Amino acid sequence: MLKLMKLEMRKFRIGGYVWGAIVANILILGFIFLISFTTEFKEELPFNSYDMVFSVIDTFVRATYIVFASVLISRLIIDEYRSKSITVLFMYPINRKKLIAAKLLIVVLFTLVADIVANLFVGLGFYILNLSVSVIPEPLTGAIAVQLILKFMMSALATSFLSLIPLYFGMRKHSIAATIVSSLIVVGIICQNVNGFTLYSIIAVPIGFALLGAGIAYMAIRNIEHVDVLK
Amino acid sequence: MTYIVRTKQLTRAYMGKEVVSNVNINIKPGEIYGMLGPNGAGKTTVMKMITNLIKPTAGEIEIFGERLTDTSYRQLGRMGTIIEHPIFYDKLTARENLDLHCEYMGYHNKKSIDKALELVNLQGIDHKAVKEFSMGMKQRLGIARAIMTKPELLILDEPINGLDPLGIKELRDLFKMLCKQYGITILISSHILGEIELIADTIAVMNDGKLLQEVTMEHIVQQTSEYIEITTNDCSKAAYVLEHHLNISNVRITDEGQVRIYDSRIPQSELMKTLVLHDVAIEAVHKKKGSLEDYFLSILNGGGIVA
Repeated sequence: MLKLMKLEMRKFRIGGYVWGAIVANILILGFIFLISFTTEFKEELPFNSYDMVFSVIDTFVRATYIVFASVLISRLIIDEYRSKSITVLFMYPINRKKLIAAKLLIVVLFTLVADIVANLFVGLGFYILNLSVSVIPEPLTGAIAVQLILKFMMSALATSFLSLIPLYFGMRKHSIAATIVSSLIVVGIICQNVNGFTLYSIIAVPIGFALLGAGIAYMAIRNIEHVDVLK
Repeated sequence: MTYIVRTKQLTRAYMGKEVVSNVNINIKPGEIYGMLGPNGAGKTTVMKMITNLIKPTAGEIEIFGERLTDTSYRQLGRMGTIIEHPIFYDKLTARENLDLHCEYMGYHNKKSIDKALELVNLQGIDHKAVKEFSMGMKQRLGIARAIMTKPELLILDEPINGLDPLGIKELRDLFKMLCKQYGITILISSHILGEIELIADTIAVMNDGKLLQEVTMEHIVQQTSEYIEITTNDCSKAAYVLEHHLNISNVRITDEGQVRIYDSRIPQSELMKTLVLHDVAIEAVHKKKGSLEDYFLSILNGGGIVA
């Protein structure tokens, strides 16, 4: 499986996406700085505790990487069907379930790692900013930090699975547009942040969506050996 | 194992319409098996079923002596294929594509990449992405990819599309060489009769999803050999004379009242003399050769076999 994943990453030049993720992180950090200093934003999103700031950061990061994952799904899976290169892939003496599972695993792991790294990077960036320009007066104690890290780790885990939801819509007609639009709809549902309250903070929501994503992945793999590759 | 590929009553329907119906093909080891038929005859669909890309509605396929199932992955590793037109990861270079192919096929002799590129005469393209290739170059690269892992069965769907006449000849020679020297069995399809007849050992003629005839080239050559055609008003008497006085049994009477003699041992003058001596009135005599094209056209038109 590891070898299949490596081959996929070579085939699609994953390096470019890593650069994309780095740029995205810098943009998110810039946006957080902007919110910290702009009075109009302060009324809508008052940064008054680390919990609040990290909730906003996590929401941004989650939204970004759900869409990012849909781009990966488009490239790794939908595009293979559109360009018919899937017929080449499916003529190899390798289990088709494994071939698709390797692709999905790349999406899940990439999203998981990128989500965690982005939270750490932007969080740390904000912390450093806060040391020089005090945005939040409360000190960042070890206990708060551990709690924050645990929180976004759990959130990242759920995000990585729910980011597979667009696969269902994309595969219906092998449409890249449908994949990306459906990811935006998912973002619209779970990435609202009203005064630090998000739908995502109701524990059943991320778990439910993550299970839905995992279910869609399972459905995509389950029947793959028994159906026509392309009509 | 007697056959490399066998299909039994292979059928595929789309929305109730059969695009391949009850096809039985039998491909022997080491032969070049040509599928001939107009566009839309069902050739590609048969190939897709053999490579497990689409599933038959009915019937079965046997490859390398084993029945093809949804999980027959091992058999796929013993084939090299081009179905429809060659498809690549076209942002990558030719070499990167072939390298990936090796990895996926579990074939670790990387020298075969150069060897294959050399065989299809595709060189000096190392740093070019495949999307910049011409149709002919892609076709060559597709063939390189199909042959580089030394498969036992090569499945080539219209492999000469997009090639110039010189390129066609080069590849024809290459296929023959692969078949003779490496013992690779080749299943090749084309809608061009001239191409198939130059290369195939066995020809399957398909039309409208049906296999009209599966026949060896040897047999066709016999069927299309020279014959003498005599026009006479008493065909049965002529046939009787030929059979009893000249010992010629290879005689056929056509519907148009002509006698055809497929025996070249006895000279034409001798034939005439004997017939006249036995009171057979001869109106005309022609020496004829059946053409391969007529032969196939007659099969495609459902008119039975000429000659």
